[in-house]
Amino acid sequence: MNKIETQAFIQENFAQYYAQNSGSIQSPSLMEKREFAFLIFKEKTMLRHKGLTTAEELRNALKTIAPSDVYYSCAYYERPEEDMEAKGWLGADLVFDIDADHIPTPCAKQHDTWTCNNCGAAGHGAPPENCPTCEGQKFKDESWPCEVCLESAKEETLKLVDVLTKDFDLPIEDLRIAFSGHRGYHVHVESEATRTLDQIARKEIVDYITGIGLEPIFHGFEKGRGPNLDDGGWRGKIAKGTYEYLLTTNSEQLARLGFKKSTVNALIKEREKILESWREKGPWRMFKRISAEGWKKIIQKGIEKQSVKIDTVVTTDIHRLIRLTNTLHGKTGLKKTIVSFTDIERFDPLKNAIAFEKGALTVVVSEASQFRLGNETYGPYKNERVELPTAAALFLLCKGAATVSE
Amino acid sequence: MKTLDLKITDLASPEYGQILNRAEKRIEEAILYAQISQQHPNQEIEILSFPIAIMMISATNDPFLKRRYALAEAKRAYNSLKLENAEKIITIAVFFNWKIKLAEQTTTDYALNFTDYLRNTVDFHESKWKLVNRALQNGEVHLTRDEAARLLAEEVRRHIEKKLEAKLELELPQTIIDHVERLEQLFISRKGKIRLETLPKEVVTNAFPPCIRQLYSDVQSGRHISHIGRFTLTSFLIQSGMTTEDVVNLFRTFSDFNERMTRYQVEHIAGGRGSRTKYIPPRCDTLRTHGVCPGMNEICRKIRHPLAYYRRKLHIIKRETPTAPRT
Repeated sequence: MNKIETQAFIQENFAQYYAQNSGSIQSPSLMEKREFAFLIFKEKTMLRHKGLTTAEELRNALKTIAPSDVYYSCAYYERPEEDMEAKGWLGADLVFDIDADHIPTPCAKQHDTWTCNNCGAAGHGAPPENCPTCEGQKFKDESWPCEVCLESAKEETLKLVDVLTKDFDLPIEDLRIAFSGHRGYHVHVESEATRTLDQIARKEIVDYITGIGLEPIFHGFEKGRGPNLDDGGWRGKIAKGTYEYLLTTNSEQLARLGFKKSTVNALIKEREKILESWREKGPWRMFKRISAEGWKKIIQKGIEKQSVKIDTVVTTDIHRLIRLTNTLHGKTGLKKTIVSFTDIERFDPLKNAIAFEKGALTVVVSEASQFRLGNETYGPYKNERVELPTAAALFLLCKGAATVSE
Repeated sequence: MKTLDLKITDLASPEYGQILNRAEKRIEEAILYAQISQQHPNQEIEILSFPIAIMMISATNDPFLKRRYALAEAKRAYNSLKLENAEKIITIAVFFNWKIKLAEQTTTDYALNFTDYLRNTVDFHESKWKLVNRALQNGEVHLTRDEAARLLAEEVRRHIEKKLEAKLELELPQTIIDHVERLEQLFISRKGKIRLETLPKEVVTNAFPPCIRQLYSDVQSGRHISHIGRFTLTSFLIQSGMTTEDVVNLFRTFSDFNERMTRYQVEHIAGGRGSRTKYIPPRCDTLRTHGVCPGMNEICRKIRHPLAYYRRKLHIIKRETPTAPRT
């Protein structure tokens, strides 16, 4: 099968899924005030500005259109079907997107590949500044779901929920956490209180969550004292982050911050004492070998540890389109899946988000790294014909790594 | 005014002349000094002059004058609020639907819900007002009394601006119209002193701020630029006088260049389509949030917007360039 036929094949499966599981598709709250959008398989174009008023209408649309991806607006409008300028913005949910792309993960994205547009040279990891072969600067990159990436995204999600419920005091019932179906998590906040906040107010929330523009001077550093571990807000976060940094750092990392060798050695030697001091008044005054400037660098590392790696653009965009819950992701064939807060530790995205649970398919895989779905691990594959469970086969087809065997 | 059974035509009569005069004085002081410091000894006149002043400003249809007046009234509000006791501050705040209470273990500090805090700090630029630099706990921001007064004044300013936006539905008597026109003239002559510098027609790349310089060099070498980066660059170049055609050509180096799409988007930003608004680039702290800011230099510290940088730098360049010798 060629590429177009493969696309048609995926679409058929998606259509079947929506026909058989239409009951699982729930309409978002106040749906008549939202815009819906569908990414069409054939032209990869977006069908936008759709207004839908009932769950039935929505389910029928999915069955007949069988789109590759389904979105709805986080915004509420007077007239969702009009052009952007004429819609009449009424408010928007506060949404957060945590994507492995924005997190520096320990796997260093070695599972992702890039190809130089100019000479075709290829490699693993994030694309380089310049192509090592031809000095070109344009690349095509392919991402691959990875356990480490997904776990990091989950950790960031937990950090985010912690900030939202503690610092912002948003009730956990107003938060909806979901696995996106690809590389990360979404957190929706549907609350009266935040609905009408404008872009600038949302930007301030983003800066708070990421620690952008944070100046330690405003957080209890005065007269040789500093914040404590049990302080609230960023005070406590700075203390916790700095504690964690000092606990886990090593000589090399400290040297990289620009400390002299003797200072580094002294710091490592005194580490236990410094950490212990947190039970009392904190280490801010006691370690005389580190100047105020030196502390600033260490504190910055602490802030980075506590900063939540969200996609800043998504939260500040008050018209954003968001994937609809329980719909399929066109790049994986997995579904966007709600995660209950109490179960999040046990939630396994590569298992719980599987949409196609039955049947098997034979596909020809051009190249694929190893991956897991459910309890099975598949691959790596290179130019081979394999029979796989539908979910795994569709995953490779959606990724463009395989075609259907004839 | 309704409760006092005052009719708009009454205002033109001499008995109410004092109220009208006081209203005019309020506006005059706002125009000239951006403040309202004096007060009429008769409290009734003082109070009644406020709605009259609002009515007169509404009649001008001058958004700048409206803003200036609201700001002056807010300053006045701040000056009296900061002297008020906690009970009064809380009563006024609750009138504006704020979720506020006295902070625990103090008699002078307040705990304000973060949404009320954010709504009233959007126009503040000092870093101490950034949410990330505040103590935020249980959804509440900790404020000193002076800060609470400052935020309440901001609420007053927004409240007055909203009032001034409303269309005036009654017809004013000629005497009042005369007064309004005199005030308008006063404002125009005052405004004339702030000379607006026009930008040169040609784009001066030497005057680009670091962010635009970076984006510009990225686009020239075909390096990937984020969506917000493209928007920032395009709106900046359009605002500084580059033609749509030249901007479109700039993006030609991209591997995913699509002429029809790029032209559509550039024209949209240039105000040639849809809403007809000519977009301006995001301000500095927004660029910082989205990682577009590559770090500040000396001039950056004095401005808040990339276009302000451009204007300032142009000025410096002009000053440093000696005029051509004449023979």
